[in-house]
Amino acid sequence: MGKWVRVASVEEILPRQPFLVAMEDDDIALYWINGEYFATDDLCSHAEASLVEGDLEGYTIHCPRHGGQFDVRTGEARHFPAYAPIRTFPVKREGRDIFIEID
Amino acid sequence: MASKPTMVNEEYQYGFNDGDVSVLKFAQGLRRETVEEISRIKKEPKWMLDFRLHSLDVFYKKSMQHWGADLSQLDFEKIVYYVRPSENQGRTWEDVPKAIKDTFERLGIPEAEKKFLAGVSAQYESEVVYHSIHKDLQDKGIIFTDTDSALREYPELFREYFGTVVPPEDNKFAALNSAVWSGGSFVYIPKGVSCDIPLQAYFRINSENMGQFERTLIIAEDNSFGHYVEGCTAPSYNSESLHSAVVEILVKEGARMRYTTVQNWASNVYNLVTKRAVAYKNATMEWVDGNIGSKATMKYPSVYLMGEGARGSVLSIAVAGHNQHQDTGAKMVHMAPNTTSTIVSKSISQHGGKTTYRGLVHFDKSAIGAKSNVKCDTLLMDNESVNDTVPYTEVETSQAEMEHEATVTKVSEEQLFYLTARGLTEEEATRLIILGFIEPFTRELPMEFAVEMNRLIKFEMEGAIG
Repeated sequence: MGKWVRVASVEEILPRQPFLVAMEDDDIALYWINGEYFATDDLCSHAEASLVEGDLEGYTIHCPRHGGQFDVRTGEARHFPAYAPIRTFPVKREGRDIFIEID
Repeated sequence: MASKPTMVNEEYQYGFNDGDVSVLKFAQGLRRETVEEISRIKKEPKWMLDFRLHSLDVFYKKSMQHWGADLSQLDFEKIVYYVRPSENQGRTWEDVPKAIKDTFERLGIPEAEKKFLAGVSAQYESEVVYHSIHKDLQDKGIIFTDTDSALREYPELFREYFGTVVPPEDNKFAALNSAVWSGGSFVYIPKGVSCDIPLQAYFRINSENMGQFERTLIIAEDNSFGHYVEGCTAPSYNSESLHSAVVEILVKEGARMRYTTVQNWASNVYNLVTKRAVAYKNATMEWVDGNIGSKATMKYPSVYLMGEGARGSVLSIAVAGHNQHQDTGAKMVHMAPNTTSTIVSKSISQHGGKTTYRGLVHFDKSAIGAKSNVKCDTLLMDNESVNDTVPYTEVETSQAEMEHEATVTKVSEEQLFYLTARGLTEEEATRLIILGFIEPFTRELPMEFAVEMNRLIKFEMEGAIG
């Protein structure tokens, strides 16, 4: 069972603007799409570029470095040259705060 | 003791030019308008214009790579991005403008077509000027056409696959190609169909400072087979030309595809190419890649082995002479169980030339039981020539097998002595050793190409012994 960590307030997150959460170990990308929050690894599984610097199209984040694509809901790689999935994390909102569950 | 043999480059035999035969030639330099104009001339759908403009943005954003060949002399503002050589594409040789026809005749294309090819595509500057395919192949449902025509004639099929294997963001030159692409081949082989004789494309640059950006897309459906062959030449000029192609190949379940290239660009051409294939379950992808010419080549054909039992192979030779750098290699990405790959790279450096083998073998966690064998052999002809071997291996599973062997050798005195003792001249002996060295490569070429390749190598070596 992981622990829930507060990572942002709702005011900080803009719709469709990926938000970088700097964690102790790995950075996490936070997304607000159609009223729902999603969290994934920030680093692309292909060549470790920061995904929050990429473009979000629907539920797909485009890696800015080589054009790999991931579904932010599942972490699944959708486009070459990325092929390995990225991790996803449960997200919840409590009041004005957003929490991510990490291991 | 005999003196060490050295190889001397004879004058490049395809270095002639036809003068300017174009009907439309853009000014040098790359602007947003250049891209818009190419798309407008080709009467493309809006999605393609958007794709091109997005790619141009990506191109501007990406910095030049700081590894591999020295590209510091490459000036994007001096390149001509689009040259239309004729008004229409020919279906018979008679339709092709005379100057262009003469060039291809000097290069032996119509002869080859008659003798042993299933289809031919001849690209001159930015456009395909001649195209043909045997009728019986067409009747089987095989599509072999130029990429611009494919966009017009098979829009859904085209859009489904175009840019899915090599996105514009992949690298700066893939982005440039995606922005200004023109010509190239589109091949579609339906389920279960075997195209037993090769399809060939021939790429020729004629103008000075020309940039050729063809785009090739090949789709081999389940249990099909195809063999695509391409050749490239250009005139010799004092200023640089650029050839920057993107090749995308999808090999579906149980299918087999072979892609053979023999590039013999003039020594003023930068050859910066992205070639990638995806092989699905039990599919086989084979790259056979010969790099003889160019000023600098950076090319790493890759296979993403995505389905169980997929196989990939790259068999390549690189010959670098004076002022040439062949930075070539291969990538094999094992993403499924029991996938296998083989890389055989043969390099010859002579007269101060430089060859680099740069390769990647990646085993994903899921690649249980996968196997890869990499073999890099180099022949250094003299003390000024250079070879680097830069193999990368990434292994995320403990249940895969990886073998790598590399050798760097010189033409040995012993071998020469043995052969000359049997009546061969030193030149003949050196030639024989080299032809033996590249034999694993020539063996895999179609017969006529193998003969041509041996002839080319002999030609490169003419007058070698002083």
